[in-house]
Amino acid sequence: MNRVLKVPVMLHRAFSSSARQLRNKVPEAQKLFQEDNGLPVHIKGGTSDVLLYRATMTLTIAGTCYSLYWLLVASMPQRKP
Amino acid sequence: MAHQAHAYHMVDPSPWPLTGAVAALLLTSGTAIWMHFNSMSLMSLGMILLLLTIYQWWRDIIREGTFQGHHTPPVQKGLRYGMILFITSEVFFFLGFFWAFYHSSLAPTPELGGCWPPTGITTLDPFEVPLLNTAVLLASGVTVTWAHHSIMEGQRKQAIQSLTLTILLGFYFTFLQGMEYYEAPFTIADGVYGSTFFVATGFHGLHVIIGSSFLAVCLLRQVQFHFTSKHHFGFEAAAWYWHFVDVVWLFLYISIYWWGS
Repeated sequence: MNRVLKVPVMLHRAFSSSARQLRNKVPEAQKLFQEDNGLPVHIKGGTSDVLLYRATMTLTIAGTCYSLYWLLVASMPQRKP
Repeated sequence: MAHQAHAYHMVDPSPWPLTGAVAALLLTSGTAIWMHFNSMSLMSLGMILLLLTIYQWWRDIIREGTFQGHHTPPVQKGLRYGMILFITSEVFFFLGFFWAFYHSSLAPTPELGGCWPPTGITTLDPFEVPLLNTAVLLASGVTVTWAHHSIMEGQRKQAIQSLTLTILLGFYFTFLQGMEYYEAPFTIADGVYGSTFFVATGFHGLHVIIGSSFLAVCLLRQVQFHFTSKHHFGFEAAAWYWHFVDVVWLFLYISIYWWGS
């Protein structure tokens, strides 16, 4: 059919990168997240998942310690000027 | 890989309930520290942690539903029950503020001048910006229903257009309400009138912002082909929430803006 219409193959590739026609990437995502690798869903997406998780957990632990510090400060008698 | 012999969803272990709980701890204790020690760092840390938790938890739910197929019909039924129960709890939340308003306005004390609106309060004209706001939200209720039908009929472009319009109307409401807040001739400190007005409409405004954000996420998902004509519960939940926000406004408009003026 292509030979009859003389439609160049290049047109196909240009389409997928244009902003107006987004390619459906759900099948690829389904393949990635259904891979039998034993990874829990919150890090199954790859390296960026792991980095974001580590940053979040660091803030969680640091934040807990910080709140305990302030608890100590708040429990101490106020210094009179 | 172990295959389950049932239609229910046994979730993977997740850190987000813990990070969310710590975020709540930091936000609450941080607010207390801000008020007593003039330091916003703990509260800000809590806010950042809350946003990180929200993003990753809901990202994971999208993965579990759209990419892993865990949202079978019985699971979806549970999600529907969950959203309905949550909205019901929000109804009770607003009921409290309406109770407060009617308690003070139905029997105004001598300190207020024995009248409602209290002596010295210049109320907002209910037929100016508040009426426009009512029209904006009612219109957004129509456009979100249009979006739903578009999704059900597989009309991708129309769904994107009507959903975008709904979100823009939500932003317009927020903008108009912000202007009203700025220009209002009374403040939250102006007795019980100010308190009931700004707490009730303020929490409503917060819910408009939350609802607009939920719809915006749905727009992104619709653009990315997540929704099918038969399965789009995330959108339905957002639409239910949006209708709830609209109904609360109607009660606010009738009670506080119109009857209370």
